[in-house]
Amino acid sequence: MSYIEQRRKRRILVVITMLIVVALLAWVNAEHHRHASKQGKRSAHAGDPGTIVIAQANDADTLDPSDVGSADTLNVARMLFGTLYDVSPEGNLQPFLAESYTYSEDGRAIHFKLRSGLACEDGSPLTASDVAYSFQRAANPSNHFTGNASGFLIPSIEYTGVTVEGPLDVTVHTSKYNPIAIGLISELSIMCRVPYEHMSLREASTHPSATGPYKLAEWVHDDRIVLERNPEFKLRTPRYDRVIWRVIPEGSTRTAELLAGDIDLTTGVPPDQIDAVRNSETAKIETVTSTRRIYVGFNMRKKFQDTDGGRAIQDVRVRQALQYAIDVPTVCEALLRTPCQRAATLVVPRNDTSGVPAFPFDPDKAEKLLDAAGYPRGKDGVRFHLRLQAPRTLYGDGNVAQAIGQYLSDIGVDTQVDLLDLSVYVLLTRQHEAGPLFLLGTGGSTWSALYDMSDLSAPNAGTNYTGWHDPAFFAGWKQLEQTKDAAEQQRIMNEMLQEFHAGAPWLMLYFQPDVYGVSNRIHWTPRADENITVY
Amino acid sequence: MIGFVARRLWQSLLVIFGVTLVTFLSMHMGGDPTYLYVNEHASDAEIAATRAALGFDKPLPVQYLRYANGLLHGDMGTSLTYRTPAVDVVLHHFPATLELALFALIVALIFAVPLGILAAMKRGTPLDGGIMLVAMFGQSIPSFWLGIMMILAVGLGLRWLPISGRVPVLDEIFAGNIAEGLANIPHAIPYLIMPGMTIAFFTLARTTRLVRASMLEVLSLDYVRTARSKGLSELRVVGYHAMRNAMLPVVTMLGLEMGFLLSGVVVVETIFSWPGVGRLVYNAINHRDIPLVQTAVILFAVTFLVLNLAVDLLYAQLDPRIRLNG
Repeated sequence: MSYIEQRRKRRILVVITMLIVVALLAWVNAEHHRHASKQGKRSAHAGDPGTIVIAQANDADTLDPSDVGSADTLNVARMLFGTLYDVSPEGNLQPFLAESYTYSEDGRAIHFKLRSGLACEDGSPLTASDVAYSFQRAANPSNHFTGNASGFLIPSIEYTGVTVEGPLDVTVHTSKYNPIAIGLISELSIMCRVPYEHMSLREASTHPSATGPYKLAEWVHDDRIVLERNPEFKLRTPRYDRVIWRVIPEGSTRTAELLAGDIDLTTGVPPDQIDAVRNSETAKIETVTSTRRIYVGFNMRKKFQDTDGGRAIQDVRVRQALQYAIDVPTVCEALLRTPCQRAATLVVPRNDTSGVPAFPFDPDKAEKLLDAAGYPRGKDGVRFHLRLQAPRTLYGDGNVAQAIGQYLSDIGVDTQVDLLDLSVYVLLTRQHEAGPLFLLGTGGSTWSALYDMSDLSAPNAGTNYTGWHDPAFFAGWKQLEQTKDAAEQQRIMNEMLQEFHAGAPWLMLYFQPDVYGVSNRIHWTPRADENITVY
Repeated sequence: MIGFVARRLWQSLLVIFGVTLVTFLSMHMGGDPTYLYVNEHASDAEIAATRAALGFDKPLPVQYLRYANGLLHGDMGTSLTYRTPAVDVVLHHFPATLELALFALIVALIFAVPLGILAAMKRGTPLDGGIMLVAMFGQSIPSFWLGIMMILAVGLGLRWLPISGRVPVLDEIFAGNIAEGLANIPHAIPYLIMPGMTIAFFTLARTTRLVRASMLEVLSLDYVRTARSKGLSELRVVGYHAMRNAMLPVVTMLGLEMGFLLSGVVVVETIFSWPGVGRLVYNAINHRDIPLVQTAVILFAVTFLVLNLAVDLLYAQLDPRIRLNG
């Protein structure tokens, strides 16, 4: 075979190969679109006016109404289950399945009047005995629930029992008056007794029987949850026929799916992709200052008192000094790419009437306070050493913690930042062993200052991660139990917040700015309490 | 042969013992594991009761024996997030990972073997240099970067392929719906291409280099020279005589590669939202679901050992000169 013939053969081979590759790509593309449109007919998709597709990082842990806990799970559960009262987007408590409530004279019994005509998913009437069952099931220790209802709500209201007085009348009993009980009870999902009595706990976790606006149509674990309108729910008319929750753990992928038009709404747009969404023609950014407080806790427990920094932070002047060292607006602008204001107390600004100012950025004042507290700079410029522990993947991906470490080092407090995997970090905080400085973000509420303060409900409360035990602050809780007068309650709370500010157990940073990506196809306004409601 | 298998099984048991010990200790590395099982508002009495109920108040050796006894009876603990036996959860996610790994392996082989042979035959030419450059690139770039670039270019820019999601094939086949599983293959391929190519790229690069090196060595041997001198065509010399021996190290590596692909998909599954074991482990770590992580690690270890053993046995079949009882 001549050289020219060989070259011709090779060219033909190359052309044939390229044709095959192009044909394969065309086939793959056609198959994808055919399958997508088939799926569209079967289960609807983004772009269908009756469907909204929402992406979040995590799948639901469980759809057992008594056991839901994580924020992502709660978002789905709120679509499936009604509550006696609920919180409006503006942060007001409003009737939902119940039309009214009344406290008994001693404040230890709360009587709820249910609306008439309520129904379970199977069409049977939803009555007071279903409400009672919902409380009893969540409070039953033999169920070993660890979710929000059993872990927080039931113990917080000091629930002692529930009685049914009629088909629409039910009373919840508590051991003492609690001014925020209605708000807490607004987080308890109401479930129907009959379907759940016939389900094991395992079945109940995956087969929800709805009492809310939507019911479960399909749940493909770690992939999607498809909800469709619950025809038995008549209280409100949902905006969409179908809500599809897609589970996409990686923030960049969620953003890409949003820009590609495959989803309508995504949570947690990464800071470095905010501009990409803003500059796109298909989606926009919606931000809201959330009720989640990001702070650095001072762990004052004995375990840390033998360390250099652990000993220093026992002194309130040191704790106050460190507050002046952080330039919070710059941290937000530079790392979160979103403006945010410095938090003054643990109560969200709309509920805070204490008048307590946020600590301004004033490193000179910080240095003076440290000098006065007996911690002058040494020859190496260091006053003392501290360790700050933080999760690697939350609250700004560890960058915020690094920045704080640098700001503290700038005033002579040599700060070592330990970034830990979330699994390890959460275990440490739960055991109150993170520290002596630790970065944390805990959720407040839109509806009550007292709820926001309940993290510090007692010196030994599980959520008092700092071990702060200021007697004046904690005495406030006793006073609050003894009054039902709103103005008096407000006065006591304000005094407690002033005490909190002076004692400075938390280095308040900011209320977390939540960043959502929203398709131009839909109109949606984010809520400060991180709830995603589309009904 | 029997002696070899028996020895390898014994070694495997030792390895599994080591893996179970490490996974058991991992439960205790972050502190008292009792706190994983209670909510943060639990009282000291509740925490103590849970600790006693789960046996975490016992000495570590006793706890390990209980754990090992559970494993021997197929009890790998209950997932904290799924509230079901951890082994069921992992096995439920396994077909997705196996599907991705098999696809990646097939893609890698389809490209790596011809490229490696071509590079060996054109040694020292620009074509050889080009192939080796791509191989080096494939071994150097991190998979998360490649994955995100593919999403941006192919998924978002060109809109050729779906960015995330999956159409199940093996799940249907394992569930006995063979016809449905096979019918899903054409629909599944568009979803497989980007994550499959992302994890295949590293294997492809490594295998190409190995095929090239192995082929170069074999091509210099006397029997190849003899075959050529007999007047056999180059296609027959390379494709039949040389390739059979050149593939021996590749077969050895493929077993390990399959193990690597199965266990190394955490990042890729997370980026492409692929509902496999890798992503399951990632979520389990974030949710502190230690029993799930332990189960996945043990199952990966067992898969790795089985694959290794299979490769050794296959190796002996391919090359009769190798004696396994040695």
